[in-house]
Amino acid sequence: MTTIRLENLVKSFGSFTALKTMDLEIGNGEFVALLGPSGCGKSTTMNMIAGMEAPTSGRILFDGRDMAGVPMGKRGVGFVFQNYAIFTHMTVRQNLAYGPKARGWPKAKVDAAVAKIADFLQLTPMLDQKSAKLSVNILQRLAIGRSAIVEPAIFLLDEPLSNVDAAFRAVMRTELKHLQREFRQTMVYVTHDQLEAMTMADRIAVMDHGVLQQVGTPIEVYNDPVNLFVARFIGAPGMNLVEGTLAETDRGLAVDLGAFGLSPPLPAALAGAARTAGAKEVVYGFRPEEVTLRTEGPGLRAAVGFVERIGARTIVHFGAADRALKIVAEPSTAVSVGETLSIEPVAASVRLFDKASGRAIKGAA
Amino acid sequence: MRRSLPFELFRYAMIALALALTLIPILWMASMAFKPIAEWSASGADLTWWPKAPTLDNFRYIFGEQTTALIATLDRTATKPILASLLAAVFGTLIAMSAGTAAAYGLSRFGSGQNLPLALTQLRLFPPMAVMIPVMIMWAFLGLIDSWWGLALIYGIVTLPFAFWLMKTFFDEMPKEIEEAALVEGCSRFRVFMKITLPMMRAPLASSAMFVFILNWSDYLIGLLLTTKEWVTIPVYMASLSSSMTGQLYGAKAALGLIAAIPPVILGIAIQKHLVRGLTFGALKQ
Ligand SMILES: Nc1ncnc2c1ncn2[C@@H]1O[C@H](COP(=O)(O)OP(=O)(O)OP(=O)(O)O)[C@@H](O)[C@H]1O
Ligand SMILES: [Mg+2]
Repeated sequence: MTTIRLENLVKSFGSFTALKTMDLEIGNGEFVALLGPSGCGKSTTMNMIAGMEAPTSGRILFDGRDMAGVPMGKRGVGFVFQNYAIFTHMTVRQNLAYGPKARGWPKAKVDAAVAKIADFLQLTPMLDQKSAKLSVNILQRLAIGRSAIVEPAIFLLDEPLSNVDAAFRAVMRTELKHLQREFRQTMVYVTHDQLEAMTMADRIAVMDHGVLQQVGTPIEVYNDPVNLFVARFIGAPGMNLVEGTLAETDRGLAVDLGAFGLSPPLPAALAGAARTAGAKEVVYGFRPEEVTLRTEGPGLRAAVGFVERIGARTIVHFGAADRALKIVAEPSTAVSVGETLSIEPVAASVRLFDKASGRAIKGAA
Repeated sequence: MRRSLPFELFRYAMIALALALTLIPILWMASMAFKPIAEWSASGADLTWWPKAPTLDNFRYIFGEQTTALIATLDRTATKPILASLLAAVFGTLIAMSAGTAAAYGLSRFGSGQNLPLALTQLRLFPPMAVMIPVMIMWAFLGLIDSWWGLALIYGIVTLPFAFWLMKTFFDEMPKEIEEAALVEGCSRFRVFMKITLPMMRAPLASSAMFVFILNWSDYLIGLLLTTKEWVTIPVYMASLSSSMTGQLYGAKAALGLIAAIPPVILGIAIQKHLVRGLTFGALKQ
């Protein structure tokens, strides 16, 4: 039940800057996911929020209070590590009771809390087992329980699910979301798995190379990526991005996509923005899901490379290497390899980026 | 892929050789311990490999019972040297392990750079002989000559680098997240060390302590230089087992050697499971 505010946060290790001026405000009871590729500074950010590492410069505020110099044990945060940090010489019960006991809770209260959290996380049957013998899945659940039991106002989770198996990960996603609804903590969740971020978070903070790229709701970062990195990173498969040059046609402004031909004319708002921006070299982007596929008609012309049929959907790959396109189609779609098709992106889904700066060119909403 | 027959033969021959090199002297000592004097003495009539008339005479002898066969009387029995060795080795191990563990933890968690750990470890490379004369003078000045506590102290000092180096490796390998998880719950460093770190380090502690104990237990040089009469240790006492008439008392030495082998063997068996885990401690995190 606390807001977190990061102001101009910087962290350097020697001459290497792991985090470059991060500004982020996390609301009370909000679930924010820090999403980004490996090494982008997610853990570094978390460790500073938890107080395990001191910022090189900048401030961290909890409810407006500067946390500089406050040791980690006094910040009232719960922390779950990627490598489940379990006290293997203790039983499940002793692990769960560790935090409450360290805080000097009376025995009755400790017991009640242990029973409640064990029930919530389905740990009751193994309460009295030695934790060293348990499976990875259960250990990570235990690690979550051990931090959640004291109901910290701020709950920090650093890739808690990256070591558990896929089936269990799906279960835990629901459980974690459920846990957060139940206790209403402010939750910061580090992940490099966008599915986790998309399904659980209220807002996603996308990071790359120590720089915060974009903060927004899952829909915002998906629909309106602010730059090429976010466009490529969010979505599976990611957005199709084709380099091209703006070209005036008799039906309006379009993009000359080289081998793929001329794009359909840009929507008026986007065309306006592109003209104002004055860019010439652009990157034309559209979501693989938002296209119309025809044998003949307007759109990008490309030959089918290969087809991936994965049950609920079919992914059609066009072209090759850096000129590759991907389309997500209905499972029933009949296409054959080598056939040349027309791909027409849904007008509203088309995005333009400045090729030089990588930034999105936005039409007035 | 199947190995060829000559290779297999060669392999087993080498294994047999290695086993023979380690086991035959021990077997020989064990058989010697149960031989009557005639079977081991240089003046004895019939030297044997295996005792023809097994006897406990050698054991009785070193514990002071008069036996018919051995005429030479001992000026002291084996009881006190065994006690001396036990006390000095146990307390020496305690000193080395507690100081070494504390130093290793401090340097592993809060130290920076390699110089100090390396310098500490290099003390181990220093031959004890080179410093024994000053140590003798100091010990004499402190009144520690010929006492088990004096020995325990120097044993603790001499094996400290070894204990430090072993424990440092183990602490370095322990994932720091485990301690941070406890720290974030609001526990003090000291409490985390006592309640989390040390209990999780049981296996490494046990194996390190055993190595240190064996080093102390088998010392000869320091015992020889720092004890005279009251608190001589087993190895020093063993060297003194000879008489002008019979020369070296091999039977008595073998009996004592067999007794001296007991503590390391018991320790080894007791912590066998920990030894394996201690040496594969990195697996904790998986
Ligand atoms: N103590 C340290 N000393 C030097 N460099 C460090 C230290 N900790 C982290 N780094 C570097 O800082 C960068 C960011 O690390 P960080 O652990 O925050 O990445 P991450 O986003 O959490 O990645 P991952 O997904 O792999 O966990 C990395 O390049 C890393 O090598
Ligand atoms: Mg990380």
